[in-house]
Amino acid sequence: MYWEHSLETLDRNSLENLQLERLTNSLQLAVRSSHYGRCPAIGRLLDSGIISIEQIRDLPFTTKDDLRRDFPWGFLAADKKDVVRLHSSSGTTGNPTVVYHNRHDLDSWANLMARSLYAAGVRETDVFQNICGYGLFTGGLGFQYGIERLGCLSIPAGAGNSPRQIKLMRDFGTTVAHAIPSYLGRLFDVFKEEGLDPREDTHLHTLVIGAEPHTEEHRRRIEEMFGVRAFNSFGLSEMNGPGVAFECTEQNGLHVWEDAFVVEIIDPDTLEPVPDGEIGELVMTTLDRQAMPVIRFRTRDLTRILPGPCPCGRTHRRLDRISGRSDDMFIIKGCNVFPMQVEGILMKLPEVGDDYRIILRTIDDQDEMIVEVEVKKEWFRGDLTLLDRLQKRITHLVRDEVLVRPLIRLVEPGSIPKAEGKAVRVLDQRRK
Amino acid sequence: MTYQVSVFLENRLGRLEKVTAVLREAEINIRSIHLNHTANDWGILNLVVSRPELACEKLNASGMSAALREIVVLKMDDKPGGLDVLLKAIAGAGVNFTNAYGRIVNEGGSAFFMVDVQDIPEARSRLASSGLEIIEDTQVYGP
Repeated sequence: MYWEHSLETLDRNSLENLQLERLTNSLQLAVRSSHYGRCPAIGRLLDSGIISIEQIRDLPFTTKDDLRRDFPWGFLAADKKDVVRLHSSSGTTGNPTVVYHNRHDLDSWANLMARSLYAAGVRETDVFQNICGYGLFTGGLGFQYGIERLGCLSIPAGAGNSPRQIKLMRDFGTTVAHAIPSYLGRLFDVFKEEGLDPREDTHLHTLVIGAEPHTEEHRRRIEEMFGVRAFNSFGLSEMNGPGVAFECTEQNGLHVWEDAFVVEIIDPDTLEPVPDGEIGELVMTTLDRQAMPVIRFRTRDLTRILPGPCPCGRTHRRLDRISGRSDDMFIIKGCNVFPMQVEGILMKLPEVGDDYRIILRTIDDQDEMIVEVEVKKEWFRGDLTLLDRLQKRITHLVRDEVLVRPLIRLVEPGSIPKAEGKAVRVLDQRRK
Repeated sequence: MTYQVSVFLENRLGRLEKVTAVLREAEINIRSIHLNHTANDWGILNLVVSRPELACEKLNASGMSAALREIVVLKMDDKPGGLDVLLKAIAGAGVNFTNAYGRIVNEGGSAFFMVDVQDIPEARSRLASSGLEIIEDTQVYGP
């Protein structure tokens, strides 16, 4: 029932002692990086010795902006020769973010991933199809290494091409698959188009869904469509990627692996901790990453700790599903998008006006990002070819920046409501 | 030099009426209309009207994006085969057009064929040297 019985069921006291020991190690490594090397609070804490995990609150937060500002090497705490892999966020305008791993880090990550899948009932006898983009995106390789560590037969299918996904499932008898929830509706439609019913015509018994916030109702709908149990997976590239927190077979909250991360929930305004059970912003610290420790990272994800023990016997606390963001980032097709990224592209184009709007909408069971762009009067020459070309150009520029292909809709000047103050640029009309 | 009025239009309920209301108010007569809509929820409305400059000015003043766009207008007979004869002549002159629409001047008599081309001076000289009659502004716009 457990991948690592003793670690997963460690009593809270021993778990906290393990955290203290690992936090000390992490901080000692972290100060080797130029970013944390500039932080006197870490030195003070190390000098005085850490006797309670609450002392972590004496350290400053790390934000996404910090990661961007000190791109590319500022957070690297190891010799470059010992680093074996990097994962990086999207972004061609401004700095992306990057996370480095040495051999130990990849090993630790693969283990956490295997532990997560095992908790959801995946076993080495399973055939696991990873329907997820490989490459810089952590969902591909992150899952791949975990699936192999667990011992399943892995099918690194990659994203998209639904008919091929279905063929793979049927040819090799796939029993478990990982995909983003918004894709599964589309996949189900293709099953129907081919006259197939995934409940009858596949051996699927488990789906792992993550990288996108979704509701309990959405999960139940996916379970019904495919005749499976679906498990929620949570991760973020700053904390490796997938394998940070995962649902066990109780399907009631995601165990966050506290031997590998310190979890705090704070009030995003006062920055003070909130009690277990109350919603706040998730803040995380790596405990078992050597090449690039990250301390008190403000994830901007809003969630809460579910109080009380889990019947599964694991002592690692559970996070509730993500209920929102404390910034304006949104996730579509598994990609994190900040409206500022889209704005940055549009504002460089002389043909378009200052107002724009992003509409997220479910079209044919797929979530789409529609960007409404005003065409400037002065630029309009009555030429359809030029407009078509402009639309294609914006599509490519946005696609290259955020990795999601947008639907660009050119609109008449003045037709987008003027944004006042902190602009409400994003309209989320997706089916939840 | 003959101009059509081209208007950027979203494919939404009531958009076309906005244009016609402005023209009606300014007592401008529409001689021919052509709607070039793409699948992208927007497109271009092309109009031949009695007073193109005024139409363009009024449309822009009421917040729309309108532009004058030069076109080439050719004459044909309003009878079966009339367009076929004209198109063969245009092809013979080696002129390719990107958009076209028509206007009847008098039934059973003559009609005009409006075409959009990339290179207007080049097209005009080719058409003229092939002996085709190019119709100019006031005749096209009508009274």
